[in-house]
Amino acid sequence: MRPLEYRRAEDPRRAVTAVAGRPGAMFLGAGTNLVDHLKLGVARPDLLVDVSHLPYDKIEPRPGGGLRIGAAVRNSDLAAHPLVRQHYPVLAQALLSGASPQLRNLATTAGNLLQRTRCPYFQDVTTPCNKREPGTGCSALEGYNREHAVLGASEHCVAVHPSDMAVALTVLDAEVRVLGSGGERTIPITELYRLPGDRPDRDTVLKHGDLITAVDLPGLPMAAHSAYRKVRERASYAFALVSVAAAVQVRDGAITDARVAFGGLAHKPWRAYRAEEALRGVRVSAAPGDTLAEATTAAPIAAGGAASTGENAGGTSTVEDLRAAADAELADARPLAHNAFKIPMARNTFVAVLRGLLREEGATR
Amino acid sequence: MRVTFTVNGSRESVDDVWEGESLLYVLRERMGLPGAKNACEQGECGSCTVYLDGAPVCACLVAAGQVEGREVRTVEGLADGGRLDPVQEAFVECGAVQCGFCTPGLIVQTHALLARRPDPSDAEIREALAGNLCRCTGYEKILDAVRLAASRKTGAE
Amino acid sequence: MTVEAARRGGEALGDSALRPDGVLKVTGEFAYSSDLWADDMVWGVTLRSPHPRARITGIDVSEALAVPGVHAVLTHEDVPGEKFYGLEHHDQPVLAIDQVRYQGEPVALVAADHPETARRARDRIRVGYEVLEPLTDARRAALDPSYPKVHGDRSNVVRHQPIRVGDMAHARRVAEVVVRGEYEVGMQDQAFLGPESGLAVPAEDGGVDLFVATQWLHVDQEQIAPCLGLPTGRVRLTLAGVGGAFGAREDLSMQIHACLLALRTGRPVKIVYGREESFFGHVHRHPARLRYEHGATRDGRLVYVDAEIVLDGGAYASSTSAVVGNAASLGVGPYEVPNVRLDAYGVYTNNPPCGAMRGFGAVQACFAYESQMDKVAEACGLDPVEVRIRNAVAEGSRLATGQVIDMPAPLAAMLEDARAFPAPPPTGTADVRDLPGGVSNTTHGEGVRRGVGYAVGIKNICYSEGFDDHSTARVRLETVGGEPAALVHTAAAEVGQGLVTLQAQIARTELGVRQVTVAPADTGVGSAGSSSASRQSYMTGGAVRAACEAVRERVIELAEERLGRSLPGASLHDGRVVAADGLAVASLAEVLAGRAVEETREFRHRRTTALDPLTGQGDSHVQFAFCVHRAVVDVDVELGLVKVVELAAVQDVGRILNPLALEGQIHGGSAQGLGLALMEEIQVRDGVVRNPSFTDYLIPTILDMPPMRTRILENADPHAPYGLRGAGEPPTLSSTPAIVAAVRDATGRPLTRIPVRPEHISCG
Repeated sequence: MRPLEYRRAEDPRRAVTAVAGRPGAMFLGAGTNLVDHLKLGVARPDLLVDVSHLPYDKIEPRPGGGLRIGAAVRNSDLAAHPLVRQHYPVLAQALLSGASPQLRNLATTAGNLLQRTRCPYFQDVTTPCNKREPGTGCSALEGYNREHAVLGASEHCVAVHPSDMAVALTVLDAEVRVLGSGGERTIPITELYRLPGDRPDRDTVLKHGDLITAVDLPGLPMAAHSAYRKVRERASYAFALVSVAAAVQVRDGAITDARVAFGGLAHKPWRAYRAEEALRGVRVSAAPGDTLAEATTAAPIAAGGAASTGENAGGTSTVEDLRAAADAELADARPLAHNAFKIPMARNTFVAVLRGLLREEGATR
Repeated sequence: MRVTFTVNGSRESVDDVWEGESLLYVLRERMGLPGAKNACEQGECGSCTVYLDGAPVCACLVAAGQVEGREVRTVEGLADGGRLDPVQEAFVECGAVQCGFCTPGLIVQTHALLARRPDPSDAEIREALAGNLCRCTGYEKILDAVRLAASRKTGAE
Repeated sequence: MTVEAARRGGEALGDSALRPDGVLKVTGEFAYSSDLWADDMVWGVTLRSPHPRARITGIDVSEALAVPGVHAVLTHEDVPGEKFYGLEHHDQPVLAIDQVRYQGEPVALVAADHPETARRARDRIRVGYEVLEPLTDARRAALDPSYPKVHGDRSNVVRHQPIRVGDMAHARRVAEVVVRGEYEVGMQDQAFLGPESGLAVPAEDGGVDLFVATQWLHVDQEQIAPCLGLPTGRVRLTLAGVGGAFGAREDLSMQIHACLLALRTGRPVKIVYGREESFFGHVHRHPARLRYEHGATRDGRLVYVDAEIVLDGGAYASSTSAVVGNAASLGVGPYEVPNVRLDAYGVYTNNPPCGAMRGFGAVQACFAYESQMDKVAEACGLDPVEVRIRNAVAEGSRLATGQVIDMPAPLAAMLEDARAFPAPPPTGTADVRDLPGGVSNTTHGEGVRRGVGYAVGIKNICYSEGFDDHSTARVRLETVGGEPAALVHTAAAEVGQGLVTLQAQIARTELGVRQVTVAPADTGVGSAGSSSASRQSYMTGGAVRAACEAVRERVIELAEERLGRSLPGASLHDGRVVAADGLAVASLAEVLAGRAVEETREFRHRRTTALDPLTGQGDSHVQFAFCVHRAVVDVDVELGLVKVVELAAVQDVGRILNPLALEGQIHGGSAQGLGLALMEEIQVRDGVVRNPSFTDYLIPTILDMPPMRTRILENADPHAPYGLRGAGEPPTLSSTPAIVAAVRDATGRPLTRIPVRPEHISCG
């Protein structure tokens, strides 16, 4: 039998010390990802430090707005929390589109953030994989790569990040609180994840022994106008081919601010800065919402043709502007042999999410 | 290692557990409780659903050590002595059981749904059971069973 | 309605009798093959090849044997008897000898006292492989004689079955409308939930007792014993609880392996596959490429069909020959076609082995011929239902094999029924769970288009082409506690379909007793044949009825002896012998007087004949069954997502024996067809499986399955017991093409490949 030690952490600092001091040690949260990896042989720790009982199971309003979400809060509790549903619908929607009810009852905030890719080569220990065993090569690059990255990949790894929740947090300007050997620090979620580069074995910037203790959400008014949509081949219980999280702010008939992130396209949740920039100033054609709805219905986003109603200043419709914003972000996308469809799918999902948000925006005024 | 926890109301200790074993393995192979099923052992099918501290979870993804001191209820613990729970009864009567391998997981998940929401809509039933794969029934009879169990449970109140 | 029917509590034939194993299954007490346990038991695991094609240069097990807790490590050298086995051809090695032919082929076995120990020891077996380029092009394997061979000198073509009818040259001149299509069917998995598993217990007589989930105990036994070097009688099999089958348990998986380890270690050996291993542990549905050309008159009457079907059998033959036979003989569908040129091939490649899955052979062809019928309809400007009605077979019609349908075949009426189902209402946009994408929140109704599609299928019931098939039943009637009780014993595998319920219903009805026990299935009684080809109600149902009739005759004789007069036309009812005039003349308890009456009978269906190897002519099938589906879908044309709004099925079952169980078969079969239409495919690249898990191989969830309507007809087949018709497979044929037709209707896309992916609908 492979020697494996299990310890239940009673104190955060000692947990950090225990893991930091032993290369084969790992934190164990709920285990929904790690226990599977133990069976598959993808993870081969010699010590599990169970941190699921540490006092990080609260969701608390922060002074001055925002929420602190404990690292051990269960996904189901987070999705159901009234403040989350009210102020951060994108987060509740992302959580509920992930996994299954039974898994959400187990899975924790920190564990969700740190779940590893579903790349089939990563999961199959008989195949080369730079993420699992650095230096062995990337089997997906020339293999079956339908589910893989089109943005930010490298020749060493084309895997995508599997979390839905992390995509939502990426548009919420979330910050991750980390306890390490050197004490506490805060990392913006947009800086937590790495692109693969030549070190695809490292998903995040965390060091061995760093323990996520909480996720802080700032008070972000536009987050109340946010949404998450996920495209997959089954109605539930499947990972995203493409997903989009977005929040918008509209003033005087134009988008004044926006946050957008893509899931399923890259090694990390992909914050779409260029698309956000392109969205700012887009006129929401001839609000109120009815007209927009008509315009968008008349101009299916999958079609290339010009829209017939609701023209904007430049002679374009809102839907065309949305499409252009998506294209701005996706201009650098590089498909692999089997996943070129992800680019139009991402664009269409982007337009659908924004269109929906703008329509809601119109309807609420 | 030794793991001590409450299962179906009784406090049990199990010795010589390897740290890499799952709760599912401990229940099935060490405690003689094979009701929770091993269809995938990867959290992908729901056949191993058990209550852990009152919440239905996939027992295959819980490491054995994590249940120390906690409370587990399995499909074997739902009947009241010789009397089936209304959910169990309804699954038999409605033809919701064919090969039956998904059944224990569905029974526990349905039991939890009806405890939380005694009169669920079809959409709520579907959403609650979306993590339980069944390959035999096409789910129609399962929906019938959940509706029948709900009507009996609310009728009994 | 169904629930009420069930609560009526009827337990005779025709009632919705409840499963006798239902209570055990809902309480978790039913013992499946993976639940078994024995004192001193050890665990077996299998080392499998990571390569689809390689020469084995050496196997070193010494390190594995040295792992503490390991009891045995076996390779092909440890197989004492025959080294090969197989259903139709003995072409599959028990453990790979000098080469591997598919990824996942078993190479070595380990037994250890803990499964983790066994797995770690397995990792220490050193196998030298000289990796070769895998042969994965099924079409070249079928048609290119220069393509390298998978099995030494043996042809890559496992079977080629042509069908030749009429005068094709003339037909081509006559046809006014010609439509062509090339279709592809991906590799579907049965995806039963109960993994391959069992317990082998060494016996004192040097033999072995195997408790296992299988579809056919005796065919397992016949394959296992020679490999163990044992006489058949010393390998005894008992059916353990079966967690679904759908064809995937026709071939052996862990049976010989567990027995080898048990005989070597002298201890009970349990083998339980994990889900990933299960994907390598059984055969799959043959992926297929189908090229069709249909010629018709302008008013939509078929003039000819010209078709080529290539079925990829993978590394070993399994039931490929029978699959080819079905694809060929049923390849034009339930239509009258005067001229046919069709060639069906099943071939060896280094892809995963393929064999039986619900509807085999007929499923692949049905997707293609039904897609073609829609094209004919479109070319002729006809409604898709109308074109099918104009060509539908009926009783008396001649199939492409020349076989005349000598039983009711009310296909035209069934199509009318399907068309007459009320249309489901438009989907509201209030609840995203009803929309394409469901809880993923992908659409709120924008970009959603509705489509409607129809399809029909024809499936042969029972084994075909001259196979001398039979089932055996032993029925015993005695008094238990003063009450007459029947014991039914067969070797038939209950795999979830409800055969145990049906056997008891038959005994109750035929013997007029309430108390009926169905004994566990084992090899202590004669073969029942396989729980496949929708044949068990027919065959084992027929056998149980025959045995009951024999018991009944004996009991009436006993009553005659007792009463001293003859009782012509007497029957058994409600625990009594009832004379022809309807009066009870004696109770069974009196007649039996403490004795038991036991009879064993073999039941055979009527003879069939082989297909002519050159023309494909022959009365090859026992019975035909038909199902019609209408599918209504909503498609998000922007994201390529499909929501099946409703499936409606019309099926003729000859006679309804258990409404509740029957509906379950139609629902479940339709769901598997939905899976093949929209999501299910084993992804194989260069012979390597890339998605062996339930996260990556998607089967429908409860959110994917729509509400179903069913209309069940009872036009009795005069040749069949009770007039029944096998029911399990037909719904799996027609639901797939109906759904794809509906998606085409919504999108205008050609959709020639299944499963249909989002990128085939948009984003492509």
